[in-house]
Amino acid sequence: MIQIKDLQYKINGKIILEDIFLELAEGEFAAIIGPNGAGKSTLVKLILGLLELKEGSIFIDGVEHYSWLKNNTIGYLPQYEEFDNAFPATALDIVLMGLAGQLPLGTHFNKNHKQKAMEALEQTGVAHLAKELIGKLSGGEFQRVLLARALVSESKYLILDEPEASLDRPSVESFFALLKELNSKGKTIITISHDLTTLSKYCSFLVCLNRRLHCHNQMELIDADVIHKTFGDSLRIIEKDY
Amino acid sequence: MFSFSFLVYAFLGALLSGISLAVFAPFVTLRRISYLGEALSHIAFAGIALAILAGLNLTVTTLIFVMLIALGITLLAKKHNIQESNTITIFLSLSMALGIILISLSKNYSFDLASYLFGNVLLITRNEIIALAVLSVLNIAFVCFFYKELFYLTYNPVMAKVYRIKTDLVNLIFMLLLAANIVINVKSAGIILVTAQLILPAVIAFNLVHRLSKAIVISVLVAVFSAFIGFYFSFLLNLPTGACIVVFEAILYFLSLLFSV
Repeated sequence: MIQIKDLQYKINGKIILEDIFLELAEGEFAAIIGPNGAGKSTLVKLILGLLELKEGSIFIDGVEHYSWLKNNTIGYLPQYEEFDNAFPATALDIVLMGLAGQLPLGTHFNKNHKQKAMEALEQTGVAHLAKELIGKLSGGEFQRVLLARALVSESKYLILDEPEASLDRPSVESFFALLKELNSKGKTIITISHDLTTLSKYCSFLVCLNRRLHCHNQMELIDADVIHKTFGDSLRIIEKDY
Repeated sequence: MFSFSFLVYAFLGALLSGISLAVFAPFVTLRRISYLGEALSHIAFAGIALAILAGLNLTVTTLIFVMLIALGITLLAKKHNIQESNTITIFLSLSMALGIILISLSKNYSFDLASYLFGNVLLITRNEIIALAVLSVLNIAFVCFFYKELFYLTYNPVMAKVYRIKTDLVNLIFMLLLAANIVINVKSAGIILVTAQLILPAVIAFNLVHRLSKAIVISVLVAVFSAFIGFYFSFLLNLPTGACIVVFEAILYFLSLLFSV
């Protein structure tokens, strides 16, 4: 379970997040929605320990999150992964990164680790790209490699920041179907997304965020009023599939 | 050719200098911190000036000074979330300014800027050869032992942190070793050769292979080959050794473009 209590976050005095109280039970498939600049990525980075928490607290499985993160990993798929296109790494190298922190300093990957990484690549449907250099992969293929990296770490939590950003429409559907399958096997998933059509199909819990939390209800409760509270006039629900 | 012991020392100096720097070159190039090599060699200027003014041992004082600055760059960038490039520039400016002030205070000393820029491998001592050999072994051992951590630190330090890869300690050792390499090399090789050896062997290697482990081996081979050829032509034509090595590596770089994979 992830519990957030009385969290505030400011950058140079500007309030990014305030009065955040949230509880995410194990096994949820939660979606965080909100307009640009609502603090969605900031909230995720605070949970991951990538930003320093100054006010409030985060607990994971009942343990203060910095302590929890010392011994555990959260599978994370960032919106954009910064890397040099010419970096000499294959898809397999990137997936193995998910295991690297679990190995003692100075040890090397063995056959067993590589086998695990290959299985994760198979799970995300890109095992045939294992030996491809990452600079040669399409955006969608690379997303699946990053998902495989998140999976190989065998973390019970998976956080995704706008995974649909570099996927075309059919790929978004199959990607979320894969996430749903993982969720049904017990993985707790938190995803930031703007794709309400897809979220309403797959997610079980909704976090509407615009600096403050506006609601955290079941997905079927998404209605125009909730969306209006979160996004203001910047977004309307479009019923028709695009 | 090797009938004079000082020539043997000079050749060993050029060879070990190339090996010690070329091991780190692929990481320096991929992390896009090749200017760090140049910056640290300029930072060494303040250390040299301090040693001259205080009458201390030149190498030891400069080594401690540059390693402390390298530590400062790493810690400041980490603690205050400042880009390493900015902290490097801050310390570079400060050290150069301090160096100039210290040299101007030391009125009895005329600083030989040419030897500082280009070095003089012919003046290398036995102790410096030993230091370079020890450094080369340390560098190779460090890269072999921490290859996994160095690989992911170079790929993306933020994601390395997410996946709990212990990059902080490895990055610190990397910076300190790099600083030590530069200080030991700058006297014999000079700033220009040190900077070149931290870039050219690696970019040549990456033109030929797409695996980091192979690139490290090729980078070292390029440095060794260049030391042989550069030294040979420097002896034959009575030209500065460091400059000959740089010119030969630059030629190899342009040739490697033809075989780029």
